[in-house]
Amino acid sequence: MKTVTKEVLKTTANKLMFDMSDEQYDHLVSEFDILIKQMNLIGEIEGVDTAEPMTFPFDVTNDYLREDVATAPENKEEILKNSADVVDGQIRLPKVVK
Amino acid sequence: MKYMNLSITKIHEAILKGEVTPLELVKEAIEACKKDDNNSFEYICEKEAIERVDKLDESKKDSLLYGIPVVIKDNYSTKDIPTTGSSNMLNGYVPIFSSEVVLRLEKAGAIVVAKATMDELAMGGSGTTGHLGITYNPWDKSKTHLIGGSSCGSASSVAAGIVPFSIGSDTGDSVRKPASYGALVGFKPSWGRISRFGLFPFATSLDHVAYFTRNVEDSAILLNVLAGRDDKDFSSSFKPVEDYTARLNESVKGKKIAVIKEIMDSISNTSIKEAFNKNIAALKNLGAIVEPVSIDHKLLKAIYPTYIIISCAESTSNNANLDGVKFGPRESGESFEEIMTNTRSKGFSRLIKRRFVIGGYSLLKENQDELFVRAQKCRRLIVDAFNKVFEKYDAIYCPASPKVAPLVSSDSDALSDEYLIADNYMAFANMGGFPSITLPLGFEDNLPFGGNLTGKPFDESGVLSIAKVIENCTGLKDLVAKEGK
Repeated sequence: MKTVTKEVLKTTANKLMFDMSDEQYDHLVSEFDILIKQMNLIGEIEGVDTAEPMTFPFDVTNDYLREDVATAPENKEEILKNSADVVDGQIRLPKVVK
Repeated sequence: MKYMNLSITKIHEAILKGEVTPLELVKEAIEACKKDDNNSFEYICEKEAIERVDKLDESKKDSLLYGIPVVIKDNYSTKDIPTTGSSNMLNGYVPIFSSEVVLRLEKAGAIVVAKATMDELAMGGSGTTGHLGITYNPWDKSKTHLIGGSSCGSASSVAAGIVPFSIGSDTGDSVRKPASYGALVGFKPSWGRISRFGLFPFATSLDHVAYFTRNVEDSAILLNVLAGRDDKDFSSSFKPVEDYTARLNESVKGKKIAVIKEIMDSISNTSIKEAFNKNIAALKNLGAIVEPVSIDHKLLKAIYPTYIIISCAESTSNNANLDGVKFGPRESGESFEEIMTNTRSKGFSRLIKRRFVIGGYSLLKENQDELFVRAQKCRRLIVDAFNKVFEKYDAIYCPASPKVAPLVSSDSDALSDEYLIADNYMAFANMGGFPSITLPLGFEDNLPFGGNLTGKPFDESGVLSIAKVIENCTGLKDLVAKEGK
């Protein structure tokens, strides 16, 4: 397991597209002392590594697939109202090619 | 005459008798929302609620929810009504559609009067991390005790008698724990029983629709409205729905109830233990077979870390759409990536970031097998252990919490049995999708505490029937915080 350091946590946060203050990283490093001890309790369970991972509470068999029908939203203006920067009916972002 | 502190059935009778109109009920609820001093609400839907009353179809007056006000947790999408998940990331966001839960309630005639505060994006158990701050426990007028979370505002609004029922969500115990702290009935039906379409996802494999009422019958009534297949939710079950009120008067005679010995052993509070044992004795007197059953102590201690790893890991991808571009406030940046990073850095609180980092750390290539995948394996063993109990027993019954509502500034020993087992075991029902209900058990220093009953998947009727007997034994129902502590 990767050792918990401020740098590791910063890299992890940055991969998730956010950052924190130095003080927050320091605090989180110290919190991981307890978290790792809690996480290690899982390793103490007999037979844990040979068990089948469980991804959902029970198998969901779903043979329903909706028809793939393209529709034009009638409420485009309402949808766009939720974006902070809209020009000519489109969400504006910085230029990619400069 | 006040109506909002009555049960659904009593309010319904009053409407049918012409004693009160839906408009009067809505006005009573809205006024109570405005006077709320527990920080229960994100948004009070005064205009929207009154407009909806105007649109009520009187021919549907026989519906039990017709004209009855309801509060919705702010992680359920509500068309044309702001929905923030109590996160600054979504300030100003107005959904263009309603969640299936809200649609079904409205179809039954219920009127949404407010959106409730919550722990930010449902990631918390204290009711302190939403962008509006701490939500207080109506049973404690000194404002020193929490109602708990994440469905804090939904819980406090029902506990305070502002509405007779409210919708929350439950990923670990986010309805069932606050129910214990608020003398409420908090019910989380089986995974897939109620559509999650339009509910902001936190941890998809653990998230459940859940709700608060003040008695077991109202809980069954509500399930009749909410249960059923929805094509818009891939995890929605095809299993046929039942009339969940049909078995409410069933005898408990011969029913087998397991009490998990290790959970009881990890509780030190004598008031809770005494009230629980008194309740067990009453159930036995009625012919129930109640027996102590053991589950591996180490496995029980692993429930909380297993929950934390899985839920935090799943939350990282579920919240990746919060980028500041499509909705919510946007920070400036030279590129899309910079906009997203700046917006998320400013918009998420430190506690949410903490959970994301825990999830991200568990998913790092170097850690994934040892943390995330191993947690998924442990989840299998935990669920298997409880399923084994259900092979011989109809339900599992234990105190819902080892304590009454915690103080605002309280701390727990995060490695103790009491914390890891008694305070966090209820997440097993999310891992296995089991129907699970908390209901009042007693009071200590005027603060309530509850018991929790869990049954086999999709045996909601069985769980509700035993819960009704428990309620009859304690006599604790329709409780509303008045003078409090």
